[in-house]
Amino acid sequence: MQLATQKAPPANIVLPHYAFAAVAFLVLFILLFFSADSFIGHYFNPKLLTITHIAALGWGTMIIFGSLYQLLPVILNSSLFSNLLAQITFYFWGPGLILLAFSFWTFAIGIPIQIASVLLFIAATLFLVNIIVTVTKAEKSNIQAEFIVTAALWFWVTVTIGVLMAFNLTYAFLPQEHLFYLKLHAHIGIAGWFLLLIMGAGSKLLPMFLLSSGVNEKKLTIAYYLLNAGIIGFLVDSLFFNGISRGIIYLLIALAGIAFFFSFAYEAYKKRARKNLDIGMKQSIYAFLIISVCIIFSVLNNLTIFNSAVFAQQITLLFGISVFIGFISLLIMGQTLKILPFIVWLNKYQKLAGKGKTPLPKDLFSEKIAYWQFLSFIIGFLLLLFGILISTVIFIQIASLLLIAAALLYNFNVFKMLLHKTSIQPFPKNN
Amino acid sequence: MQVYNEENKIEIEVYDSLKRVMDPELGINIVDLGLIYKITYTIENGIHITMTLSTKGCPMSDVIMDQMDSVLSEIFPDKKHHIELVWEPVWNTSFVTPEGKKALGLTF
Repeated sequence: MQLATQKAPPANIVLPHYAFAAVAFLVLFILLFFSADSFIGHYFNPKLLTITHIAALGWGTMIIFGSLYQLLPVILNSSLFSNLLAQITFYFWGPGLILLAFSFWTFAIGIPIQIASVLLFIAATLFLVNIIVTVTKAEKSNIQAEFIVTAALWFWVTVTIGVLMAFNLTYAFLPQEHLFYLKLHAHIGIAGWFLLLIMGAGSKLLPMFLLSSGVNEKKLTIAYYLLNAGIIGFLVDSLFFNGISRGIIYLLIALAGIAFFFSFAYEAYKKRARKNLDIGMKQSIYAFLIISVCIIFSVLNNLTIFNSAVFAQQITLLFGISVFIGFISLLIMGQTLKILPFIVWLNKYQKLAGKGKTPLPKDLFSEKIAYWQFLSFIIGFLLLLFGILISTVIFIQIASLLLIAAALLYNFNVFKMLLHKTSIQPFPKNN
Repeated sequence: MQVYNEENKIEIEVYDSLKRVMDPELGINIVDLGLIYKITYTIENGIHITMTLSTKGCPMSDVIMDQMDSVLSEIFPDKKHHIELVWEPVWNTSFVTPEGKKALGLTF
């Protein structure tokens, strides 16, 4: 008999990640509102760097850390190697991110950004060790675990490049110009860390939440190799053969991998036994639809067909926004409503289950609030893309307000769950 | 179901009592979900339940088992029980009761 939940780490290790990430998500849009004019210039500016890193590290990565500590034991049927290491990782990552955001915002490129990057590097290394040892000591591995370990490796590579860049701002020791490494840092982070991880976790969660059986997992193996081939090719060609302009070739290889994953996800969706989709799954499915927008911007971004440098910069910015604010944020918001109620419910009710009528995980948050959050977010996101495309600050500010509203509603639900008080009723007498 | 003897009566009571046990993710009880394959009761061996789960590695597996233990211990305190988890036949939607199908949104 599997005892998956007994292998999960205690809630006090996982839940602070959700609280931190939710607050980071709100801060991100408040900063976006106050720096709306930065979105109509070059993307390499202090305000945008701050917002991007809060989105990627404070919001996306923080919630992935927490979710993975819970999910990995389920995927491997094995405990996390070290709960203590997970806690230490959090205490390095959180302050590291806050200091990094402060350094970017004030453009303090000396000691503050160096300390921040070292804190983040230590956290990334501890995280990598925890994941690798957890997978290595598990009795049996699977394709989902391969995705996650490889994502953790790419994550470490991304952070390492980031650390080198942070020191390079002061000491200028790297052989190529700064934007070259920025491109590697961003692409490996997006494809190697976020995308691989989402594929690995999604390939377990999608069939589980949709109650799909008999989905062809060979598609996942092909997706894994193609996406990694694309990333490795891009990295090696760029670093050693000056081939960063051949990025489109590696992008196409990676896109073929994404197509195989999509095929898997679509098959899981078609074979689902659960026809009624809840608000969490609806948001997740919309997030996957946004990937098509990301892919369009990504292809445009890698084509050197633009005479206008301004338009090329806009496309890069739109790509980044559609990935972080569109796809990743919507997916995280959707999956939060699936995973967090489950973690809180287990913490509060696992020992009480069967002893009386308990609320269900879905009763721990407000579905109505989640609906308004979803609506506000989608309109805000589309308006933000439009505002950037027509370079109009007022549209970007209105979009920011809608996104702030979405983040507030999201925070309401997250903290409603985190602060939930246990309640149990007696069973009805007829049973 | 027709009651033939005391043992059959207990089996039916066990079946009914397991409707208290919910799959927390789906909000549907495990009987309507079609997870219970067989219930047998004999005075010598007690209650034996053969069941499955909707997904291998289901993170709610132990929660469901714990609920079953609690319910069976409460309603049948003087009878020992044993739960056997099997993966054959693989669970599919044809095992779901009409009530369960309605809750899942299945129209067939």
